[in-house]
Amino acid sequence: MAILELEAVEKVFPGRGGPPTLAMDRLSLSVREGEFLSILGPSGCGKSTLLQIAAGLMEPSAGSVRVAGRTVSGPPPEAVYVFQQYGRSLLPWRSVRDNVAFAVEHRAGVSRAKARVLADAQLEAVGLTGFGDHFPWQLSGGMQQRVALARALAAEPRILLMDEPFSAVDALTRLDLHRLMLELWEKRGLTVVLVTHDVEEAVALSDRVALLTKRPSTIARVVETGLPRPRDPVEVRETPRFLELRHELLEALLTRGPKAGGHG
Amino acid sequence: MARRLLSLVPGLAFIALLLAGLEWAVDAGLVRRALMPPPSAIWAVLQDLGTSGEVLGPLFATLRLVFIGFALGSAVGIALGTAMGWWSAAFRLLEPLVEMMRPIPKAALVPPLMLFLGLGDTMKITSVALAVTFPVLVNTLQGVRGVDRVLLDSARTHGWGTGRTLRHVVLPASLPFILAGMRTSLGLALILAVLAEMLTGQGGLGFLILDMQRSFLIRQMYAWLVILALVGLALNALFGWAESRALHWQQRN
Repeated sequence: MAILELEAVEKVFPGRGGPPTLAMDRLSLSVREGEFLSILGPSGCGKSTLLQIAAGLMEPSAGSVRVAGRTVSGPPPEAVYVFQQYGRSLLPWRSVRDNVAFAVEHRAGVSRAKARVLADAQLEAVGLTGFGDHFPWQLSGGMQQRVALARALAAEPRILLMDEPFSAVDALTRLDLHRLMLELWEKRGLTVVLVTHDVEEAVALSDRVALLTKRPSTIARVVETGLPRPRDPVEVRETPRFLELRHELLEALLTRGPKAGGHG
Repeated sequence: MARRLLSLVPGLAFIALLLAGLEWAVDAGLVRRALMPPPSAIWAVLQDLGTSGEVLGPLFATLRLVFIGFALGSAVGIALGTAMGWWSAAFRLLEPLVEMMRPIPKAALVPPLMLFLGLGDTMKITSVALAVTFPVLVNTLQGVRGVDRVLLDSARTHGWGTGRTLRHVVLPASLPFILAGMRTSLGLALILAVLAEMLTGQGGLGFLILDMQRSFLIRQMYAWLVILALVGLALNALFGWAESRALHWQQRN
């Protein structure tokens, strides 16, 4: 069953002194409940725009977005967006624990003390036990992203929308976060939509990979990875199927990109 | 701390040197004693005022005006600045009025305020609050408008709602700007309090400075002036301390 559906979504940005630009052209995509889907595309193809529209943070110029069957106008309670700029998305005046607790404090029946207990549980889940009293600026980039993840999880969303969440950390930290991500996804039955320009990341983590064209972007095709679950995101890289997918998608990115927009 | 104190030494030594020079100049007859008594004579008056407790009444009268006016003016400035920064309708409604009121030296508003509010504390506090409001308002507006888009979108995707976002995201994020405005306003608050006291001829440090001058109690006039300077210094130090506590999280950003 589809939990997130984009139907013929268009996005036109008003031109600055010039003609308006069509950034997204009748894009349709259906995300199944519980799947891990990556949206893969070249830089500047509007991946973040797509994710922001799906999150209700940006309005489409035409078409519709449905989450759990309801048409979206504004951020839906089922989905939480995790930002690429994790450092800027945290509240710098709150400790790590209070940042996470803030996501649940406003719920009915959750006291401040209970929120902190819940926060500590989420911090443990992302491997940050003992860092609750630190401030975000005292942590490394990878750890800050874990805090943002813990905060998102604390809100108990059904869908996580992740905008290049691992692009700003070093390679080893990224693999670490991949493992954590798969573990959390499996344990919690989340639906994850991940935007990335990293082919290996998309293949290693996903059930399906949606390939985006250059602007005006639309879905070029959707590839089922067919890789086994549960899966180790490092070991899976040595399987023939992984290499085959990597080759196929890289080829597609390198050749397809320029043609699709019509200005190649 | 020790290093901070040490760094003050040259500046304090310079002031001491100036005072010594003044003392000498008065003794040598280079400055007319009637207009500028020697610092030692002013110091004697200060000691009297201090030991007799005479200083407390006027001091508290002025401080009361400053604190109440500063609190009221800051509250109004923060509330209006936030509203104008957040809702474009509020901005369009209020911006022309604010731009018209802002350049008026608030001291010039004391005489008309006296017509409506009389000579009492209500008028004085209103004058102080008016002077405080605008710098706080303008800085708050700037701070609220400058809040990081990513932070605001985080609040939206988590479904935090407008009230919660304003109180827990927008205001703390704007706090460095708000406090900068309040720091400017603190000086203005003291100026307006003293001026209102002088114009009404009632109570407080401002009135005393003028009254002593008119009564040719020149040493007393200087002594009250010194007390006023110390009040300004203390208020600034207190504010600086509060500011650094409120912005502890900013230290390494």
